[in-house]
Amino acid sequence: MDTGLILYTAAFGLILIGSAGIVLSTHLVRTIFGIALLEAGANLLLLLATYREGNSAPIIVDGRIPAAMADPVPQALVLTAIVIGVGILALALSLALRVQRAYGTLDLREIRQRLEQDIADEAGIELSSSSDAPQAVASRQEGQA
Amino acid sequence: MNKLALLVALPLITAFLLPVINRASALAGRWSGPLILLITSALGISMWSQLGDNAVAVELGGFRPPLGITLYADQMAILFAVAASLGTLLLWPNGGEDRVRQSTLALILAASGSGLALSGDLFNIYVFYELVAVVSYGLIAAQASSGSYAATIRYLVVSSFGAAMALTGIALVYQATGTLNLAQLAQLAPTQLNNTQGLAAFVLMLIGFGVKAELFPVNTWVPEVYATAPTRISGLLAGVVSKLALLIIVRLLVLVFHQPEALTVMLVLGIMGVVSGELAAWRARDFKRMIAFSSIGQLGIVFIAFAIPGKAGIFAGLAVALHHLVVKPALFLLAERWNGSLSNLAGAAKTSPLAAALFILLALSLIGVPPLPGFWAKLLVLVELSQQAQPLYYLGAFVILAGAALEANYLFRVASRFYHTEKAQTAPAAHRMPELATASLLCAALAGSVFVLSPLAEQIESIAAQAADAAHYIQTVNPETLP
Repeated sequence: MDTGLILYTAAFGLILIGSAGIVLSTHLVRTIFGIALLEAGANLLLLLATYREGNSAPIIVDGRIPAAMADPVPQALVLTAIVIGVGILALALSLALRVQRAYGTLDLREIRQRLEQDIADEAGIELSSSSDAPQAVASRQEGQA
Repeated sequence: MNKLALLVALPLITAFLLPVINRASALAGRWSGPLILLITSALGISMWSQLGDNAVAVELGGFRPPLGITLYADQMAILFAVAASLGTLLLWPNGGEDRVRQSTLALILAASGSGLALSGDLFNIYVFYELVAVVSYGLIAAQASSGSYAATIRYLVVSSFGAAMALTGIALVYQATGTLNLAQLAQLAPTQLNNTQGLAAFVLMLIGFGVKAELFPVNTWVPEVYATAPTRISGLLAGVVSKLALLIIVRLLVLVFHQPEALTVMLVLGIMGVVSGELAAWRARDFKRMIAFSSIGQLGIVFIAFAIPGKAGIFAGLAVALHHLVVKPALFLLAERWNGSLSNLAGAAKTSPLAAALFILLALSLIGVPPLPGFWAKLLVLVELSQQAQPLYYLGAFVILAGAALEANYLFRVASRFYHTEKAQTAPAAHRMPELATASLLCAALAGSVFVLSPLAEQIESIAAQAADAAHYIQTVNPETLP
């Protein structure tokens, strides 16, 4: 197998794993890690856009221009994207901390339930019961057992 | 025309200087933000009047595209750049003890919003889009309630997912063409991107940029955020930021992606947006979430309109978008005091008669009752849809009409409750002066436009014609060909 194919597989694999993590995970921190994996995959794909095996870095040393240079543009773009990604990751983790302090949980279903409750309380309306509320899930599991 | 960069640079510099200015003098700290936004708005409007039919491109730092960074200003770009400045000015955050930080974020929002509108380069668009996203997280969480933290983190997850999708789309475009300059992409697109890879890139970017434009599958954050964020920020996100994301999607459609399937995807997602948004708004039992869901429905109409090929679609979509740009912030300003349950609003017209009257005007225009501008915007969309001889477009027209009926039902239900004779036990307090004044200003603009409707329509049509002209874009930017 050549390197390009492995790298492309890795990029799409990371995108897939990251997306699955965001969609399926019920733990907030794991969801945030899913975002990190997804971004890593997207960055790798951008880097691969002009990847050719054996190209050297686009740097002129002692006046000698390398025969095959790598395209520097995606590398600059990915640097920027990585920086943005790290900033958002830090912001997400600090927000997760705030949520944990406010609700005492990092379970996304529970957070959603508490959020609905908060909005309903503030508006002064009764909350209609939600099917994926933690209590409902728990009672369903008990029923199965 | 180098002044163009000032629309982005001035608010950005002021944002970072603001903490220092505030330390020197609290008075200067309070007023420098609004003052700068006033200056950039005036600057934008003066550039608009000079612009006419010829768009301008600015090469930052004198580097020629595709290597340099291009700012592209046609009438549409300047219009939305001014909307970003002026909208932030009108919906300036209240602050409280957190005033300096919120002002800083609001200024960055105006700067990155203008940058988003003016950018002529896909990667810059991505960077400004992320900047807008990060700043809005801060502004939403500034409410400092447990609900706003939870809503922000859930928004952040959806938005980051969207941003990564957009980045993947950008990677696919770069892989196919080797450039991200929009003018050069417009040159290369017919040969390089008119294939499955191009379509995949478009769908990825549509989902990515659609998060902020409240596109159907990625709009789960809308009701939660608008219900928990400060009302002015909700107005800003629903009114201004969503339109900036739409502008990007229009640019992509005009310049880069010409596949008919791309339009079909937008049409289907738009229809689903209208159906889900209007039904949810009809079921909503509190004021804020009702107008949040109605915002999803309205933006669905814009997506349906933009799915009509050619200039006509952009004209119709722009008309609905501009109408929504004025109406929705005004509704959110009224929600400042009416944030509770709808049943609590009984007899609210007694405590705030002006607000109730404004709500009725806004509701009538939103539904589309002639002669208000909302009617003409919707009529335009319906006429253009009926001219596309395809069943899916007819379905779009039907859904818009059915949506209008639902809107009429739920908005009038609220309006009639205002005039109940018996007051609710926990009646809301009267509106505060700043909110009422800004809402009145927006309503006056809405009502005033009835009298200048035909020149206004001509103006919007010329904006649409200019925006739909890909050849003009290429000619203006005039990129060097790649070696």
